[in-house]
Amino acid sequence: MKKVAVIVSALCMLIAPLAGIAANPDQDLKNFRKHFTEKFSSVPLQDFTNGVYSVDKASREQWEAFEDFPPYEIFVDKGNVLFNKAFKNGKTYASCFPKAKKGIKQNYPFFDKKRGEVVTLELAINECRKKNGEKPLKYKKGKMAHLSAYIAYKSRGHKGNVKITSTPESMAWYDRGKKHFYAKRGQLNMSCADCHYYNAGNKIRADILSPALGHTSHFPVYRNKWSLASASGDGMGTLHRRYGGCNKQVRAKPFKAQSKEYRSLEYFHTFMSNGLTMNGPGIRK
Amino acid sequence: MNHAKIFVGITLATVLLSGCANYGSSDNSATATKADFNTALIAANKSLKAAAHANYVWRDSGKILKKAAKAAKKGDFKTAVKLANKAKRQGDMAVAQSKDQATAGPQ
Amino acid sequence: MRHTAKTISTATTVAALLGTLAFSLPGISIAEDASAIAEGKKIAFNKKKGNCLACHDIKGGKLPGNIGPALSIEGVAMKDRFPDKSKLRAQIFDSRSANPNTIMPPFGAHEILSDAELDKVVEYIYSL
Repeated sequence: MKKVAVIVSALCMLIAPLAGIAANPDQDLKNFRKHFTEKFSSVPLQDFTNGVYSVDKASREQWEAFEDFPPYEIFVDKGNVLFNKAFKNGKTYASCFPKAKKGIKQNYPFFDKKRGEVVTLELAINECRKKNGEKPLKYKKGKMAHLSAYIAYKSRGHKGNVKITSTPESMAWYDRGKKHFYAKRGQLNMSCADCHYYNAGNKIRADILSPALGHTSHFPVYRNKWSLASASGDGMGTLHRRYGGCNKQVRAKPFKAQSKEYRSLEYFHTFMSNGLTMNGPGIRK
Repeated sequence: MNHAKIFVGITLATVLLSGCANYGSSDNSATATKADFNTALIAANKSLKAAAHANYVWRDSGKILKKAAKAAKKGDFKTAVKLANKAKRQGDMAVAQSKDQATAGPQ
Repeated sequence: MRHTAKTISTATTVAALLGTLAFSLPGISIAEDASAIAEGKKIAFNKKKGNCLACHDIKGGKLPGNIGPALSIEGVAMKDRFPDKSKLRAQIFDSRSANPNTIMPPFGAHEILSDAELDKVVEYIYSL
């Protein structure tokens, strides 16, 4: 079955150039970046990591005040405890992520050639658990988000370093993510790009649409909205939790967290922010 | 035995006839039968399966179909058929959308 | 007994269908009256229905978005911007006809609004 999938995706890649949709990630990145740096010519490139606050001066002050006593801090601490707590077999997450304390988030997601798929940090966390005989964690919030927040926090300051390998297989993943970003879906017929590329900086009702450039640098995020929805006030959520929310808002059925669809999207989406500084976890409305 | 055969024949005929009546819009039909609902449900499931295959299912289609099943359970086949048809149309629109967006990329 | 009941039910279905075909021609049932405009406004402002304020500035609406053009412009009547009401309706029904890349949802084509709801919204927007 896996072999068939490999052959099919390889075939697709052979056909793709003929159909005139040959992907060129580096050129994509240049165009993507140019769109935002021209649209928001007064915003320094690195400032896009601050998401909507890079283009919305009015709410920036309030947001910066939140950062004085960041609500994500206790969850980073929880992640720290989890990270260093021994599994039943005595090992810890450090056995899978030896460099986590120095920062590793900037290298995720990556394409695993042996496995033929994109591996995200959250996927790797659960695989580490499995390897050590532990049950997997849920992908959207809770402990997974805390661990992810801790690792993101430790990765602050590193520059995004996602590599798109030029194998047909990895390009198929990249293309799928790129297509997800630009394709309209759901009853409202909107794409990620409609809001966060073409209309970034515009207002949807009272909310300013954040630019897609710099989105991924500050995940996971603590959202006030999620905090209010949680009995314990835990507002932490992963990137795929947010993807699901976006899909639902355009009235499309969301994909599962860590589905091939969302991992593809993360691969494309994160690559677009390569070179931008990791500053997760972030605080958002 | 004879009775049973006749009954099956009638049911089949009814399904076929009401199936034809469904074609187009039976939303405003004064009455609907369980057979009408079954026909509509099969069509809706087929359509939503195609949308799922295209990775393009809309958010509320499943919910609409659940509501349809609930109405059918209560014997309100008119509402059930109406909702199943709505879910089917959503599936069809989602499939059309996936085809329309097959070559989506930067403008 | 059952036979009779089912035959009747089928006959009714067919009759109802014919009735539908005969009487539901779009766009002829809504009178341009104040109640249609008022109902249209409610639908237009409802976040789960038209949610027009998400993208358009409309007089009387709070915190409008600015993705689409303002629908209320001082001194410019919608009637002058869309002399042909059917064109305004077509734009709301499926704005992809005018621009395939539009972010505006196809309210009619995707059944976000029913035909009746759409007609009322058109009456309201046309009154601006």
